[in-house]
Amino acid sequence: MTTDEATKNEGEVQAAALAERGEDITPAQDRGVLKIIKRPGNEDESPMIGDKVYVHYKGKLANGKKFDSSRDRNEPFIFSLGKGQVIKAWDIGVATMKKGEICYLLCKPEYAYGSAGSAPKIPSNATLFFEVELLDFKGEDLFEDGGIIRRIKRKGEGYSNPNEGATVEIHLEGFCGGTRFDCKDVKFVVGEGEDHDIPIGIDKALEKMQRGEHCILYLGPRYGFGEAGKPKYGIQANAELVYEVTLKSFEKAKESWEMDTKEKLEQAAIVKEKGTMYFKEGKYLQAVIQYGKIVSWLEMEYGLSEKESKASDSFLLAAFLNLAMCYLKLREYTKAVECCDKALGLDQDNEKGLYRRGEARLLMNEFELAKCDFQKVLEVNPQNKAAKSQISVCQKKTKEHNERDRRIYANMFKKFAERDAKEAASKIGIEKEAEKAACEKGLKTPESEGRESEGHV
Amino acid sequence: MPEEQSQTIMAIDELQAIIQRCQILEEADFRGEDFNLFQVAGQKCLEDGYAAQLLEVVQNEKNKVIIKNMGWNLICPLVRCILVYKQEDDKREHCLKILDQLVQLCNAKELFLGLLEQIEQTSGEQVCQTVMLLLQPLQTVLFKLQNKKAYSVGLSLAMIMNQLTPLPVPYTKQQMQEDKLGLCQCCNAVVDFAKPFVNEVVKSMEKSSECSDMELKEELLKFCMKSLKYPLLTAQLEQLESIEDHPFRRFATEIIGILWDMREFIPLVFLHHKGRSPSWENEEFEDIERKNSADSLACLAYLMFVHCFGIDCFPMVFSPSYLLQRNMTHIEVLLKRTEESVLSKGLDLFESSLLRMEDNSLLHQYLEFSDFITVPQNLVKVMTLCPIEHLRKKSLNILQLFINKFDAEGKYTLFRCLLKTSNHAGVEGYIIQNIKDQIHLSLTHLRSKARNVCCDMKVCDNSWFTGHHLISLLDLVLLLPEGAETDLLQNSDRIMASLNLLRYLIIKDSEYNNQTGVWTMLAKIEQNFLKPLHVGLNMSKAHYEAEIKNKKENRREAHNSNTVCSVTVSGEKMPVMTTEMQLQVLHSALFTFDLIESVLARVEELIEVKIKAVT
Repeated sequence: MTTDEATKNEGEVQAAALAERGEDITPAQDRGVLKIIKRPGNEDESPMIGDKVYVHYKGKLANGKKFDSSRDRNEPFIFSLGKGQVIKAWDIGVATMKKGEICYLLCKPEYAYGSAGSAPKIPSNATLFFEVELLDFKGEDLFEDGGIIRRIKRKGEGYSNPNEGATVEIHLEGFCGGTRFDCKDVKFVVGEGEDHDIPIGIDKALEKMQRGEHCILYLGPRYGFGEAGKPKYGIQANAELVYEVTLKSFEKAKESWEMDTKEKLEQAAIVKEKGTMYFKEGKYLQAVIQYGKIVSWLEMEYGLSEKESKASDSFLLAAFLNLAMCYLKLREYTKAVECCDKALGLDQDNEKGLYRRGEARLLMNEFELAKCDFQKVLEVNPQNKAAKSQISVCQKKTKEHNERDRRIYANMFKKFAERDAKEAASKIGIEKEAEKAACEKGLKTPESEGRESEGHV
Repeated sequence: MPEEQSQTIMAIDELQAIIQRCQILEEADFRGEDFNLFQVAGQKCLEDGYAAQLLEVVQNEKNKVIIKNMGWNLICPLVRCILVYKQEDDKREHCLKILDQLVQLCNAKELFLGLLEQIEQTSGEQVCQTVMLLLQPLQTVLFKLQNKKAYSVGLSLAMIMNQLTPLPVPYTKQQMQEDKLGLCQCCNAVVDFAKPFVNEVVKSMEKSSECSDMELKEELLKFCMKSLKYPLLTAQLEQLESIEDHPFRRFATEIIGILWDMREFIPLVFLHHKGRSPSWENEEFEDIERKNSADSLACLAYLMFVHCFGIDCFPMVFSPSYLLQRNMTHIEVLLKRTEESVLSKGLDLFESSLLRMEDNSLLHQYLEFSDFITVPQNLVKVMTLCPIEHLRKKSLNILQLFINKFDAEGKYTLFRCLLKTSNHAGVEGYIIQNIKDQIHLSLTHLRSKARNVCCDMKVCDNSWFTGHHLISLLDLVLLLPEGAETDLLQNSDRIMASLNLLRYLIIKDSEYNNQTGVWTMLAKIEQNFLKPLHVGLNMSKAHYEAEIKNKKENRREAHNSNTVCSVTVSGEKMPVMTTEMQLQVLHSALFTFDLIESVLARVEELIEVKIKAVT
């Protein structure tokens, strides 16, 4: 008996055993997916909906022919569970598995590729046999920065999510270090959770939830109450939080294209107030959301009347200047500079814009540019004392910086010189000649220039 | 001619003179002027056809050091000569040997730049010839390079691909077989050129899980992405009879092979390709980069799903809806283009993704993904605006396929969307026809259910094409878009379809059952549709009849000077319409109105009969 036949037989035996003794794991109990555990898992935990799961698997057709195996590809197969990414049998089957478990699944075509099949490997109406090993799983990392991990307890409906500014109705319970500190039903606008003592991470996560979804959210400090903590709940600085949230319903905010200019200008006045309120309380992330709305509504608005245009520009200018201030506080200096640039695009002599750009540049160690900005501030308003003192700060820093550089480079040059001497000894002057030739020949292609500079790096 | 001969002898003498002088020098003592003289003399020798003599000089063991330092200067004239000489010419053979010798002897760095410079300077019909001539030397020299190898390999590949990109891609079988500019051959040669470097990457990956030669891998990846965009995106990739070794299919296989070997294939087709491309400081560059890779990725999806390239390596557990959803992005990219080769790829990818699904199995929630709405709209554009007939037909078939895959609610939503956005009476007529089919299905199903005949529940959720849902859909259908002023001729497809639908409803559904709700909304239909249609028909007919009368009188009056205006279509002047032709058009319009009128009469008659029967 050849090995092929052996595996074929083995497959048939397994399939037969499954058909006979397999547990029906379909919710409809129609024997569409049958399962036998080959090796029980080593932990009692099962993956949840939305989890990123890692599996190894082997798939065979009813005739024993292998059609796919992750082991042949030498890497585990990864997918999001319960999101319809894989055939139905898998979403059902893998959800029942424990970490480390190996099981067999027998899947009717209705739970696999049906009458259409999947060219070229799966014929029409094929029953599929799988051996699956659940290697690992982890919660979904919503922003791929480890800051918010979501595990879904109950899947929501459809694929649409609340957007920023949407009105949501949720139930939430907040935990810190195992104790529950918050439990309430609440209705609020996404981006303004802070008004109800809800951390920004919940606002962000809501934008990825669907109606009816019930999930657990693990928030890092950045998405929680941050450095300030939350004395009201007795939460220390930089605490990690766990929330259980149910999105009961939501109403989407109008997208920018759904609003007319008048509405946008009216709303701009409201959100500007809100932004300023957050800013004063030191809630810079929340303030950024509010000011950001003004930009998204008005920045690309065309065909305004003269009066509207004036109003729009003044809102935009204020929004950019305030955003710049927020980003300075949030230590995102590049963004701060961008906002100042845009503000100065509207009003090139804006004192605040120039000053804030100077501040941001100073913090980015771009002393010369910073100095220019502060000097321009003085041109606009010679009385600005702060700018004067900033200029001297710039000069001082430049000096310090130069000295440090000098020290560093002095070391470097010494090392380079030693290394060059060694190299030179091994291949005497070959390059020199070639380069000379190239120069005299007048060859000025970019490559030859590149080559010349290459020698000096 | 004696004069010319003396000149050539001078060129060789000159070369010999420099060589003799340099033979006694140390490398370090070569002067710039020696380089110059050597180049001028060498070039002269080649130009005058004394390749054999030059070959001797190059082969002479004594001159090794000189050639090593100065030889690369000869690359330019050498390439020029090789391209001029005929295949069977001895001189060409000599030149090739000289090139060979230079590759063996010269300093790698200078030689590399010399070769690259040649590729950079070539253009037009010579591009492929030059590239193919220099690939082998370039490869040899890249292996000799001590440092910056990854960078140099990347530079070479980018330069070659940039030079090839302006060339037209052979599309028909004949063009491919002829391969006039040598592009087919050249592309495959470039892959062979890249292969040893790929092997290096693969080997280093085998040794450690982390690839130690990331830079080289990135460069090769860039090359593959570039190849997918050009030539593969514009190439014809269908299997062709009588071409056994289809050049572009071979090329595609090789490119996908490279991606697979470097373990980049699955990540490319699958995962969001983010965070790995170098982040550009300039946003504009980032946009260009993203757009470029969008084309390449779309082509990759096409190769895999339509032509099964690399499908063996593809996990066979994904659900067909998910695959469709992933491919939608690519389909959208392709359908936005206008070139036949690209558009047809988009349609093929769309079709193949849909054929993997069962009818009625696509959940309506997928319409919440924006491209599930925009792609059918693009499809409508192809259907109505594309000048290529077989693509128009194909896109119509695909639209039907797309409709068929949705569940009832999905179909319903899609119909609404297309009615509102298509702006084309033909398409609207087609959608209305589809609505009629769905209503028919629902009614048949309801009857069989009433008779206790079992039937698949999943297929027919009857609620969407009967009752109040249907009424709100019919509101969009049973009306004249602009009331009585609607251009009936322009809208005739839509109007006829609507009348047919109405006739069907009246016949199939009784006022007593009123499953469709049509009897409830009858008054509204009269108001919004039938009445204005009557008015419109009367006005239009009167207008056209008057026009015909006018034309006929004019014909009698002025027989010759009857051009009122000229029509140009895409810059070409259309032939002037004779009065005869104009009359014909007017008559056919009248005929259309008659047709509409007769169906309208029939519908009104039916309504009357049915109402009478009840009362």
